[in-house]
Amino acid sequence: MILYMIPSSVKETLEILASYEGKARIIAGGTDLAIDLRKGRKSADVLVDITRIAQLTQVKVEGDFVEVGAAVTFSDIKKHKFLQNEFPMLTLAAASVGATGIQTRATWVGNLVNGMPAADGAIAALALEAEIKVVSLEGETWLPVENFFIRPGESKIDSTSQLATHLRFQIPQKTWGAGWQRIGRRTNLTLPILNCAVKLEFLEDLIQSAIIALGPVGSTPYRAHTAERYLINKPPTDEIIAEAGMFVQKEALPRSNPLRASREYRLEIIPIIVQRALIQARQQAIENHLK
Amino acid sequence: MSTRFNLNGLPTEVQSDPSTPLLDVLRTELRLTGTKQGCDHEGECGACTVLIDNEPVQSCLTLLGAVADRHVLTIEGLKQFEKLDPLQQAFIQTGAVQCGYCTPGMLMAAKALLIREPKPNRQQIIEALDGNLCRCTGYTRIIDAVEFAAGMTPEKTPHEMTAGEDYLRMDSEGKVTGQTPYVEDIVLPDMLHMKVLRSPLHHARLDNIDTSSVSAMPGIRRVISWKDIPGINGFPEYSLEEPVLTPESDTLRMKGAPIALVIADTEDQAQAGCKAIKIKIDPLPFTFDPEEALKPGATLIAGNNNELSSFVITQGDLETSLKASKNVIDATYETAFLEHSALERESAFGFIDEKGRVTVSGATHQPHNQQRYVSEMLGIPLENVRVITPPIGGSFGGKQDPWPMMAVALGVYLLRKPIRLVYSRLESFDASPKRHPYKVHLKLGSRADGKLTGLSASILCNTGGYDSSGRYITNYAVTAIGGAYRWQAVNLLARSIYTNGPKAGQYRGFGTAQSNFALECALDEIIEKLDLDPVEFRIKNCIRPGENTFLGYPLIETLGYKEVLEQIRPYHKLFSEEAKKFNADHDPDKVRRGVGLAGMWYRFGKAGTLKIEAQAALSSEGHYIVYCSAPDYGQGTTTAMNQIAAEALGVSRNWVNVVNADTGQVPDSNIQGASRAVYFVGGAVTKAVQVLKDSIFSVAAEMLDVPGKDLELKSDRVIVTAQPNRFVSTMDIAHEFDLMGKSRRVTGIFDVSPNLGDQRPEYLPIFITGAHLADLTVDMETGMVQVVRVVAAHDVGKAVNPVDSSGQIEGAVLMGLGATLQEEYLPGLTTGFSHYHLPTIGSTPEIKTILVEVPSKYGPMGAKGLGEAAMLPTTPAIINAISRSIHERIRSIPATPEQILSAIQRRRS
Ligand code: FES
Ligand code: FES
Repeated sequence: MILYMIPSSVKETLEILASYEGKARIIAGGTDLAIDLRKGRKSADVLVDITRIAQLTQVKVEGDFVEVGAAVTFSDIKKHKFLQNEFPMLTLAAASVGATGIQTRATWVGNLVNGMPAADGAIAALALEAEIKVVSLEGETWLPVENFFIRPGESKIDSTSQLATHLRFQIPQKTWGAGWQRIGRRTNLTLPILNCAVKLEFLEDLIQSAIIALGPVGSTPYRAHTAERYLINKPPTDEIIAEAGMFVQKEALPRSNPLRASREYRLEIIPIIVQRALIQARQQAIENHLK
Repeated sequence: MSTRFNLNGLPTEVQSDPSTPLLDVLRTELRLTGTKQGCDHEGECGACTVLIDNEPVQSCLTLLGAVADRHVLTIEGLKQFEKLDPLQQAFIQTGAVQCGYCTPGMLMAAKALLIREPKPNRQQIIEALDGNLCRCTGYTRIIDAVEFAAGMTPEKTPHEMTAGEDYLRMDSEGKVTGQTPYVEDIVLPDMLHMKVLRSPLHHARLDNIDTSSVSAMPGIRRVISWKDIPGINGFPEYSLEEPVLTPESDTLRMKGAPIALVIADTEDQAQAGCKAIKIKIDPLPFTFDPEEALKPGATLIAGNNNELSSFVITQGDLETSLKASKNVIDATYETAFLEHSALERESAFGFIDEKGRVTVSGATHQPHNQQRYVSEMLGIPLENVRVITPPIGGSFGGKQDPWPMMAVALGVYLLRKPIRLVYSRLESFDASPKRHPYKVHLKLGSRADGKLTGLSASILCNTGGYDSSGRYITNYAVTAIGGAYRWQAVNLLARSIYTNGPKAGQYRGFGTAQSNFALECALDEIIEKLDLDPVEFRIKNCIRPGENTFLGYPLIETLGYKEVLEQIRPYHKLFSEEAKKFNADHDPDKVRRGVGLAGMWYRFGKAGTLKIEAQAALSSEGHYIVYCSAPDYGQGTTTAMNQIAAEALGVSRNWVNVVNADTGQVPDSNIQGASRAVYFVGGAVTKAVQVLKDSIFSVAAEMLDVPGKDLELKSDRVIVTAQPNRFVSTMDIAHEFDLMGKSRRVTGIFDVSPNLGDQRPEYLPIFITGAHLADLTVDMETGMVQVVRVVAAHDVGKAVNPVDSSGQIEGAVLMGLGATLQEEYLPGLTTGFSHYHLPTIGSTPEIKTILVEVPSKYGPMGAKGLGEAAMLPTTPAIINAISRSIHERIRSIPATPEQILSAIQRRRS
């Protein structure tokens, strides 16, 4: 029988992990872990449920930052008024995860810890240049999401000794906008053929910073750096945006999956999806500017 | 370790391992079986939805430990103080419940929505139910039900939305409360569990089976191999050369072919036993492609050089007629393997009944045939076998496969203990029959004025590794390929070919949908080329009653095709104009809108006996009982038989009881399939109750001392028409029957043979028709399609239950939409719902159903069939709409975004 523990603080959680020396494992929503345990891909003697640690259940908007606890679910994100208004891209991404009955359990942080290359939460977090707070008995550190993934199904977190407690991202101060696009074999309840999140920040009429994240086009959630660099100091015209899409197409390495889509199709639609996401971001930037 | 939580308002404590999914705790430890499992705990179906602190969750992915101190609400807790929740009430009234397997999860997800948002809009309803699959209803009525429960005023009036008292299903209340016991819900203390060892390879020789290490394992009761079968190892009447268990030295012709059965105290033990069996198998070359299988030198799979059957029809001089055409279409159309995906997986439960009979309860379309197969396999007399149909969570043809019941019967016979077999979803994907993929090469011509000339077709039907009745499909393929149209000449050939794909068998429309797809698309191609009107073109070429068909004989029933098309005409005009306007307003490189029309004809009622039997009885309490065999897998045949009987007797429905599909109690009403229940079994039921009524009148006439013709039946009494106060109760009449020694049970025979005149075709020439119109948009940059509206018109003869008929059509439209755009079973790759993209509620277009009533001459109340045929026109209608939008023809399904985009590019280059 597996032991199931429900600690009420981060400290307690870490102590439990330490005392079981690798045999205890963190569980949050558990929607992925339940399948992994069942299929024998992961195992544990003790499951440590962090969803009742009060400190981890909140979305805090403080100063320039939004900080999201590790127990915050996608449906919490979806329902959050501030995020709906300021980060509609994130609301859309949260609504793309599985289905309603999964979003109520699955956590944003958990989605990242799991490390799948097209995880909707991970793609969104990447575009927001989020950081993750990793806590262990040795101390704590903020890791940028970009450096967080290792290979499919693996992130820098070892859930038998460490805890990712929070995710945070900056609220851009300049004129900015974000976009979200996703395409799948059906509208919902399916993994994406392609998903893409972007963020643009402007100075005057020029793009000052551009982030383009997408999946699954590599072994980890992917940032299209060449295209991002191309956009800097350019005006967001239709032509420039279209060109950026082509850059992404050149650098991305999607794979074929006979059950979802071929590499060729994915390559074909990459520029379209990127373009649409960028146009969405431009639109939001215009609206933000007018606010 | 114990876990405490509040369950349906009561404090609860359970001892299960806290890492057990909540779903399993509910279903096994707590015996609350209303919450269903549909997808191997993958979070892919929503049947297991429950509420935790008012939030919907998929209980298969929620571990028990996580609900400590939480409030859990399951379907069993939805009804409060003996009163149905308004949602439950609404689901019943709107006809949102068919097989009912998705219903508990659907209700819980809807409940969570209404708690959070008492007046949701349509979009919110769709979002809230986006993780809940339903294979029967097409979701339309489910959306209606939620709106209705929320007390909103949608576009439809409550009158349009809800069925009158007369039309409500008889069995919905059990389904909305989670009380209906499906096979998987049966709990018996001494019940044993069966698991199956199956072929891991697509094609291999089975050299040796070694079970020696299994029997000593914990909980194992018996391992069964081919040597344990006392009689015939197979069911050749249904499927040639398909063994129940593969003999050593024989070949395994598909992945999932059965090798051995293990029976144990628990499912896990049985599974472990299967793993411990050592098999020696020798891989053989395999193919999934019938053309490969036909090449000279191809590895023999089965049959005559891999051919299972063929069927040919030729009439007239094809070459001359094609030469006289203005235009000829010459094209090849292809379809994929499809999985029925009934929400309830294949399952059967067997036991020895009180009379010592080997009894199996499970889904079947043919209880009496199944009884015969079992008796032949066991080598015991027919009367020692009994087949019952329990409540069934959908079939669509898939559960016509006799195999699961055969396996269970064998176990019960050998062990004389109750045994249950439930497939996993993976097993259901691997081993249950699929829809035959077709490769159709068509040539058809038309004169400039739109008169059809000649038709040639060469059809390859991929029957997979085993027959599974695929030998009959060639006839269906050919019959459907010509449609309800007049041809000057035809040359039609279909061949059923063995490959190493999954065995292909019955699938809604049995082999006709694939042909109809090819025909109706090819017609549209020629119509577009000649720039003619799709509605008028079809009307113009439609055969007339009495006219000889391309099959070589005339129809004996009415044909409502023209009427159907006339009903579609105004919508076609309207949609086409709207699409034109839409396209004028939008960039052609970005999005296009298109309208597609397709028709169909479908021969219903199959072959087999022409005389169908049913019985009717007067119970000792003076109620009416109907005994018939029209298995109800969720499509509502029990309700239909009740209605037909009540109407023919002229009594209230509550006075009629239907005993359905139990070989221990009812006569053989022949195979259920080909949408024949209402016409044929309904016909027999009508006859039986007429005989019963006459018999009741003859007794009552003596009791009242008036001639029988002056009497009238009122539910509980027979009155003298002229003096309503002069009556005798049916209970007293029943008593009088007994005193007279007269049987209260009578037989009715529905016999179509006199209507056939001199013809004796192999199949009855009775056809139903319909047409669908699809309106959709194509994203020209990604190839994504959004079906916006579908109008579906069907000639049903007479809508015995309009609510159920519309519900069947809506479900069929969604199933057709899935087959057209998303669904495809890839042998060896597709393992479950995560890879098999069934339509979700988000895929639901606006569906308008039109029930056209061109009464049949011989069916009860003028009714005809419907269920399967309703799926036929959807695919070609959608494909025609896409092809017209992108100006390039799509000729294979599923038409994935990928395929559509490459067609768009083909067009551009
Ligand atoms: S059983 Fe839980 S989603 Fe299918
Ligand atoms: S009624 Fe929904 S699956 Fe049958």
